[in-house]
Amino acid sequence: MDQQERTKMLGDLSVKLARFYKGKINSIPNVPIKKLSDFSVWYTPGIAKVSLDIAANKDESFELTGRWNSVAILTDGTRVLGLGNVGPEAAMPVMEGKALIFNYLGGVNAVPIPIRISSQEEFFKVASALESAFGGFNLEDIESPKCFFLLESLQKALSIPVWHDDQLGTASVILAGLVNSLKIVGKKREDVTIALVGSGAANIATAHLLEAAGFKSGNIIMVDSKGILQPEREDMDQLMLTNPWKYKLAMRTNSQRIKGGIEKAFKGVDAVISASRSDPNFMKQDWIRTMGKDPIVFALANPSPEIWPEKAIEAGAKIVATGRSDFPNQINNSLIFPAVFRGVLDARSKGVNFKVMVTASEEVAAYVENPTADHIVPSMQDLDLFPKVAAAVAYTTVQEKLARKTDSRQGFYRTAKEIIDTNRQRYSKLLDSGMIKGADEIG
Amino acid sequence: MVVRAAKEQDIPAIVDMLKRLKRLNQEFDTHFSISKEIEKNATEYLNKNLNDHENKLFLVADNGGKVQAFMEILFRKRIYYSPSQEARIMEFYVMPEYRMLGLGKKMMNELIKELRKKKITLISSEFPSSNMIARNFYEKAEFRQLISIYGKWIDRQN
Repeated sequence: MDQQERTKMLGDLSVKLARFYKGKINSIPNVPIKKLSDFSVWYTPGIAKVSLDIAANKDESFELTGRWNSVAILTDGTRVLGLGNVGPEAAMPVMEGKALIFNYLGGVNAVPIPIRISSQEEFFKVASALESAFGGFNLEDIESPKCFFLLESLQKALSIPVWHDDQLGTASVILAGLVNSLKIVGKKREDVTIALVGSGAANIATAHLLEAAGFKSGNIIMVDSKGILQPEREDMDQLMLTNPWKYKLAMRTNSQRIKGGIEKAFKGVDAVISASRSDPNFMKQDWIRTMGKDPIVFALANPSPEIWPEKAIEAGAKIVATGRSDFPNQINNSLIFPAVFRGVLDARSKGVNFKVMVTASEEVAAYVENPTADHIVPSMQDLDLFPKVAAAVAYTTVQEKLARKTDSRQGFYRTAKEIIDTNRQRYSKLLDSGMIKGADEIG
Repeated sequence: MVVRAAKEQDIPAIVDMLKRLKRLNQEFDTHFSISKEIEKNATEYLNKNLNDHENKLFLVADNGGKVQAFMEILFRKRIYYSPSQEARIMEFYVMPEYRMLGLGKKMMNELIKELRKKKITLISSEFPSSNMIARNFYEKAEFRQLISIYGKWIDRQN
């Protein structure tokens, strides 16, 4: 079956199952209800006292309600998968899928909230108004540069962690993969030069995270559809107005002031991280041949990478990663976000910063004890990865003075593991008992 | 970095900056769509006016031979008002890489020194109303709006 047939088959199956299950997540009670009079505790009149306690100390909302474990998945549906602006209603099935991964891998109650908004300021207002109900926000599938504005302004304004997975999740797992790749080729992060091909959400965040992790800004070369970013490029004034995040990177990266097209960016660099066009003929073998010794190539476009891995290796690439599960080295956000949220929620963190992200990336990298060219990152099967990364994240939020709740790293690990395991056991019971019908039983 | 009067050898760099500045104005407002002949026109204009010291002043910020910023000032007569002379900044552009480093402020200070020598006490600046970057810069430098120019298409051109 070729790729196109496979995609169609999976799409048809997705529609069929969506029509049967009518929603991928549900809310079920968390407390015992044995008789109707129990509601006088769970609800009025008893609950009034809980309400008053929270009114007296708002942080109690993290201890007396489900807020501590609740994350809103917020989207306006403007950049859903590779589909573009399909709107909030059509974004819902994707957000439900995300919520499922949050729950299964991280034990997080994630609530999909696609919203209909007309401006980034309105999005900001809606999101800000929802803060009181959640322990964190995950921004999802929002077009660039609006996503940069929202992440920056919401992180600044709110006292819960705000994450944009297309930026921060992708950047964190790229960093994890890069850390292990450099271990394999024996290079130091402060020495390496890296070309980031594609200057959208993922690579702009990657540039910021690389800087935070000790890579040199000047050694990063960013490329967009118009070529290499550098201060003298003619569209800089326009960028300053429309995308100040990209503009600022153009000012401080590429210290050699290399000018020109994409092929020039490859010349002599140690690593190329491409998050640009889903076209396996996009990246040329000749470009890879001009890279430095033991080239590292991450071709991350989905569904098709910018070059097929075997072609990149044929051209001399030492390590190749893609976004796909059917090749070695899948650079997959799902290795990061369930664990990061488990961690920040367990510490009742007020925010998430680059230090926390670098910790998460290092922990994901360290999970692979002896990385090889075919194994630079763990896989979603590595279930112990999630509590381990969660513990590292939670502990870093304590060190960064972001945590409302402190514990030792080991203590955070135990908490995260228990939450994830219990959640999965509860789900397994529903599945095993037939309360949730197996997909193979659907006619 | 020194601020000095522009010379003929600076013309290509100034033309490049003028193109960037006008392209930016175009971004703000379609009334300022740039001419296809901008490069030729700018070169001719500079060649003709660079040495018109009586009516104009062209300043550049020069760092080791690299022109980082440019300013054109027009000396205007004010026949109905006092003082009778005004210096108007007609063009002002700092290359992106050198922004946020105080270069604009330094050029402005150098200009003010020059104007004091000439006994000119009033300074103004002209830029498209929609250019918020210029507006912010001048307001920060304690300029305030003195005149307004309104425009409309009679027959809209494409």
